[in-house]
Parts: sequence; C-alpha cells; structure tokens
Amino acid sequence: MDNKQDKELIDLALSGERQAFAALTDRYYMTVYRYAFRWVSVREDAEDIAQEVCIKLANSLHTFNWRSAFSTWLYRITANCAKDFLRKHSRWDKNRSPDFPDERLVSQNPGPEARSFHEQIVAAIHVLPEKLKEATLLVFAEELSHKEAARVLGCAEATVSWRIFQAKKTLKKVLS
Amino acid sequence: MKISNDDLKRAFQKTAIPEPSEESKKLALQRAADQFATKSPFAEKRCKRIPAFFRHMGKSLARLLTIKGEPIMTRTSFATISVIIIVAGVFLTVGTNMHFFSKREVVITDEKTEIPLTTAEPPPIEETKNRVAAAPDAPKEQPVQGHAVRSVEGELSAPVGRGVAGRGDYDKYSQVSKSPDTTAGKVESGAMMQERVAPSGPVRDISSYYYKDEGRDRFTEIKANQVNLVAEQPVSTFSIDVDTASYGFVRRQLNSGVLPQKNAVRIEEMINYFDYNYALPEDRSKPFAPTVAVYATPWNSNTRILHVGIKGYDIPPAAKPRSNLVFLVDVSGSMNSPDKLPLLKNSLALLVDTLSPEDTVAIVVYAGAAGTVLEPTKINKKGKILAALDRLQAGGSTAGGAGINLAYSLAEMNFDKRAVNRVILATDGDFNVGITNQAELKSYIERKRATGIFLSVLGFGQGNYNDALMQTLAQNGNGTAAYIDTLNEARKVLVDEANATLFTIARDVKIQVEFNPAQVHDYRLIGYETRMLNREDFNNDQVDAGDVGSGATVTALYEITPAAGKEKLIDPLRYNVQTAPEESKAPASMEYGFVKIRYKLPDSDTSTLITQQVGPAQEYNSIGAVPADLRFAASVAAFGQLLRQDPYTRDFTYEDVLSLAGPARSTDPFGLRAEFLNLVRLAKSARGM
Repeated sequence: MDNKQDKELIDLALSGERQAFAALTDRYYMTVYRYAFRWVSVREDAEDIAQEVCIKLANSLHTFNWRSAFSTWLYRITANCAKDFLRKHSRWDKNRSPDFPDERLVSQNPGPEARSFHEQIVAAIHVLPEKLKEATLLVFAEELSHKEAARVLGCAEATVSWRIFQAKKTLKKVLS
Repeated sequence: MKISNDDLKRAFQKTAIPEPSEESKKLALQRAADQFATKSPFAEKRCKRIPAFFRHMGKSLARLLTIKGEPIMTRTSFATISVIIIVAGVFLTVGTNMHFFSKREVVITDEKTEIPLTTAEPPPIEETKNRVAAAPDAPKEQPVQGHAVRSVEGELSAPVGRGVAGRGDYDKYSQVSKSPDTTAGKVESGAMMQERVAPSGPVRDISSYYYKDEGRDRFTEIKANQVNLVAEQPVSTFSIDVDTASYGFVRRQLNSGVLPQKNAVRIEEMINYFDYNYALPEDRSKPFAPTVAVYATPWNSNTRILHVGIKGYDIPPAAKPRSNLVFLVDVSGSMNSPDKLPLLKNSLALLVDTLSPEDTVAIVVYAGAAGTVLEPTKINKKGKILAALDRLQAGGSTAGGAGINLAYSLAEMNFDKRAVNRVILATDGDFNVGITNQAELKSYIERKRATGIFLSVLGFGQGNYNDALMQTLAQNGNGTAAYIDTLNEARKVLVDEANATLFTIARDVKIQVEFNPAQVHDYRLIGYETRMLNREDFNNDQVDAGDVGSGATVTALYEITPAAGKEKLIDPLRYNVQTAPEESKAPASMEYGFVKIRYKLPDSDTSTLITQQVGPAQEYNSIGAVPADLRFAASVAAFGQLLRQDPYTRDFTYEDVLSLAGPARSTDPFGLRAEFLNLVRLAKSARGM
C-alpha cells in the first residue's frame, strides 16, 4: 500500500470526504483483521476487534500526524483494542475454544506429538506476556523489521530485540 | 529444543487465518462510515458552551455510567479537553422547548468541567500511556480551539455489538471522552449560551446512554378467535398455556405511559398471571381437578361465560426432586442496559437462594461466542455461584445458537434421570449469530426435550424484545416463558412460583370442550389464539401441548350464547335445512357442555383423561354470587380484550373493568391485583405509541 495514496485518502477524509474514509477503511480492513486474529485466534473476536478499530479510526483519524506510516499507527490501535479485548474477556472466557487447538485442549489429546511443532508454537504465543507477545507478532507474524516494530511499539530497536530474545526463551521453556 | 527465527516465521505462515465473514466486514465498514459522517470531529464544527443546568446532567450522567462500582467505560481517551455529547432528548422535561433543543448536540468543552467521571480503578499511568496509542498524538494535535468533539464510540462496552442487520444502532451508545486531569475542575461560569448547530444524530434521552433499541419488539400476530356456531363446530380444542410473559410486557408498556401493541397482549397469559383459589387435587397421581362455572358475561347481557380453571398439585417440599439447572445467559452488547443484565443477575441470584443444597447450577454465557462461566456447581457452594454471576458483563454480538448447544451439553454432562434437568435461558431474544433460523432452533430444542432436558425462558428488556422466538423456544422446550421487567417480577416468578417454574407435574395438557347445541347457540374462546389445536389432536399423544408446573393455575374462558337467548352473536340461517337435531340425547340436554382434559404424568408417555360436565349445577344466577376469583379472572379477560380492541366487549370501558375487579381483589398478599387495577387506570390515559 503506498504511502502517497494513503496520504491522499487521509487528507481527503480529513476534509470531510466520506468516500475517502470509506476507501481507507476498506483498504485496511483485512490488515487489521489479520493482525487482530493473531492476537485472539478466534474469528468472531477478531471481527469484533476489527470493527472497533474501524470506528476508532473515524474518531481519531485527525490525530494522526504522519510521523510514522499509517500502517504503523494502525498496528498500534489494533494491538490496543486486542489487548483491551483480551483483558475484558480473560475473566470469564477461560473455556472458549479458539479456532485451533490450544494447550488446554491438547492435554486431552494423545499428546503434544499429535500436533505439529509449528502449531504448538503458535498456540504457545498466547501464554507470553503482553509485551513479548506483541513484539513476537509484529516481527514474526507481520514480518516487520526490528526497526519497524520499534516504531509501532514506540520503543528503542534494542528493546524489540531484547523482547524477541525473551519471547524465544519463554517459548522454549513452554514447549520443552 | 531450539526455536529459530525461521521456525517462528514459518509457524505463523502455516497457520491459516480464517476469512472474516463478509457480513461482519460490511457491518464494520458501515459503522465506521456512519461514525465518521456523524460524530467525527472534522465532519462538522460543533458548538461550544453549555448552559449551567446541563452541568448537573453531566453529573447524573457520570453516575449513570457506573453500575455497581464497575466502570462501564473500560478505557478513556485522553484529550486535554473533556467533552460530553448530550443530545437534546435528555431534556424531554423541558416540554415546550423541546423543539428548540431537539436534534442538537450539546458539547461540554470547558477545560475545567466538573464531571467526576469516576472509574472504579483509574488506569495506572504507565498503562494509560500505552492506551494513548489508540490516538497516539492526541494531546499534541488537539485542535487549538478545543472545540473538537471527540467521541469515543463503543468505549462503553468494547467490543461494540457486532450484530447483524436488525441489531440496535451502535450510535445509541453514549459518547463520552474525558481527560484524566480534568475530573476535579469546575465549570467556568459564563454566558453558557447554546449555539445552534446543524441537526445531527437522533434525539436521545438519558436512558440512551445504555444500549437502546426502539420499535423492534417482535410478536407473533394474533387474530382474536372467532365466534363459532355450535351447530357447525360443536368442539373446541386447545393446549393450555402457563406463560405469563405477556402480562409483564403489557405492564411495562403501560407503566411507561404507552399502550402495548395488540399482538403483545395474549389474554390467556394475562389471566394466568394471577393465582386463583381453585379446588386442589389430593395427590400426585391425579395432578389436578377442574373447576367449572357458568355466569353472566360482564360486558354482554345476552351471553354467559363458561369458566374452566385447573390448579396443579403442589409438590410438598420434602418430595421435590433435585434440580440440575444450567443458566444460559445472554451477555451480548444489547444486554447492556440496567433493565437487562443487572436485573438478570439479581433475578438469578434470587433463584439460587430458593434452591436446596444438593441442586446444581452451571452458567453458560454467549455473546460473540459461547463460554462456560461456571461448571455445574452444587448450591452448597453458593458463594462461588453468586461470584460467577456477578462477573458477567455485556458486550459483543449474539451467538445464541452456540450458547444453547453448550448449555445442553453441560446439562447432559450432569444429567440425572430423577432430577429436574432444565436449561434456563435469560435473554432479550435476539439471536443473530450461529443457528438463527427459528425452525432449526425449534427442532433442536424438541429433540433435546425428548432426552429429558427442558428449557425455560426469561425475557428481559424492551425495544428489541423478540417475543415470538421466546414463545417458540419455551413452548417447544416444555418450559414457561416469563418476562422480567422488575425485580419484583423476578421474585414472583423465581421465588414465589419457583416450584411451578421448575417442577412439572403434568405434561401436554390439552383441553377439549364439547358444547351442547340444545343449550348453546354459539361460543368463542377468549385468548389462546396461539395455542389452538385440531379436534383430532386431542387424543393424539404425539401432539405436544403446554405443561403445568407444581401449584400453577390455568384458566380458560369461553363466551357462550345460550340457545334460548334472544340476541345472538351469529344470526340463524334463513335457509336452514337442519331441523331439530337428535333430541333423543335427552338426559344431557340440560348441560351446556362437556369439558375433557388430557394430560400425561411427567414420566409417562400415555395420556390420562379427566372429564367434567357443565350444567345448571355449575351455574351462578347473579354475578354477585360468583366467587371473587372468578370475577377477577373475567375482569382481566375484559381488560385484555379492551387493550386489543377486540370487537366483542361492546360498550364496556376501563371504568367498568375497575368496578368489576375492585371488589374481587380478595386477599392479594403481594399486591398483584392492586397493581392490576393501577394498570387499568394507566391504560385510560396511555398514549397509542
């Protein structure tokens, strides 16, 4: 998605052009949804989050200041919505089943071997602390560079690298 | 084991992300676009100041936004400017000024606005910083004038209902954003003039700061039973109905000064709302004795009322079976209203109090997805149950179908053949995700009914109340449908009548009345329109019908025209070929008719028959001699017909209902009949909509 097109759309939207705003949300819906799905692993929840992000966008588009790419900003909003969602639902949602088996379900299965290594990794992401999870998702799922991830997270590049290191360490412990 | 970067990358690449549904994408974009068009700061320049008295509104609003100390606003947005949009519907009381305020948004923009928007746990600073990321540069880029309207849609209950078409308008949530450092200031006094702004957004009243729907209550259409000529149709058959939902809904509407829509008035449910002092059966094997009476119709001097009443056997406390209950609770966004989820929690807590220690309760919730909040838990761990109830929060869409699945599977897990196995569904009736097809839900519930798990329905809220679906579910699940509008009603249904709600003493109860053409010219059944059966269904044990709970009363009224009467509801045929029918059946000729009741005992699949003839022995000559309870039932029937504007009540008025019901109040320990009289008075002055 090129930045110039974004700029045009956003400027138009800020001048009150509804179609420009509609085009902008349409263009980014899938990005937002996919990233949200990485956070929650349940389709319906990801859809809920994506909708909230879109509405939030309508409210706060004017605060976007072009210090970063639009997508970077969007990652931030999405992550915040996802975290809020998880906090809100963690209280009672212990038993909802994600769209792929997680470690709770695995225990009833023949054993961890029943699942591929990769599936185990993705399931284990959800046990990471929020900050480590966020860094991991940005770097490995969204495939951003450490530098780009640092921009999204609003921290130093070294911090990202450190979080990735910690995340891998934790995952190793969980999976072994 | 080693995890490389490549492993991680590949792991994510290999995990398929399911496509979002087209529907929800469309809805998300639509809502965002609506939000953009109406609420976003750059869409229009908004007004600036607030009149002094609005400040007060701000405070009460702030109070409203906190239920039981639990912040509804889970997040706050941090503009330096505190803003509240109040649409002028709030000021309904202003009366004549209404047109002046309406369709206008009032924006509090003063930096020192005194709005103690208390959130129970203010987010720690560290966290708030993070959250600002939602609008990362807000503080810096806030328009200098400080007049921007910043509305935070959906902050009240994230996630906003992802409901599909037919859901409440998201923009009926409130929009409030606040600044963390302005909570203790004062509103700067001043001219506080309100500026006219372009109309935008619907008119709202204060209650709209919760989710609110209007005019989407759904009822099955009812057409009043017609008058039948005994010569043509001597037999009338129907299924009993012990629901009371209709009365609750009617009461709620009348209490808010509005006449209920006609289809919401089911006369039999209004009559059956009250407990009548009918003869009690002696033991469980013959669960009820019929009470029949004939007396003059209050609203028509030419006709008579044939009154059929039954009272179910009341199981003594010691003989009560164990209960295995699963509460299936709707926590979707539409339940976010003080008359829904909070009332629901209190109601279920009342029910938990009436259960005995060995009973079990499980709680399943559903919104966007379904989840178990509480595994089946014995009542002796009451604290745990109440705590689980207390944690429920509203938000998201409504996957009722998935919830029902999960609830039944829990009930099955804990199934006890000798116990009462029941799923209690508490909802506003809006199922929009998963199995949404009524027919499919119905057949699912029917199948589960066959396995011994029954379903009862508690309805909440108005505006988007899906009565039609609730009735379908309860009727097919061998349960009752009750409508809970107040805590008092919850007490009636779940405490006083808990036995009737939980313990079935007779299933598939059908009533068939055969009229004697020699005595009765024509008849019509009052109410039970949605419960009519075919004549042949009476003897067919496969045909489902209503169930009677322990101690419940059921009443049915017929208006009959005696054959000897001078004025008839239907004129005799001029070309009547039929001559005197077989007068040979002389012994029965004095009888008005013959009442037959069929029922099955809870654990039996074959029905038993009870019969009772209606003759002069059951007749009262003057209305004064009629027992008070019967007169009261007749007055409720009259009231229902007046509300429905049925064509049979002639010049009977609400006043007449009052003078008929007033002296018939009898003991009335809970004030229910007194309340009824009040409703009649309210109906006199209620608006049409």
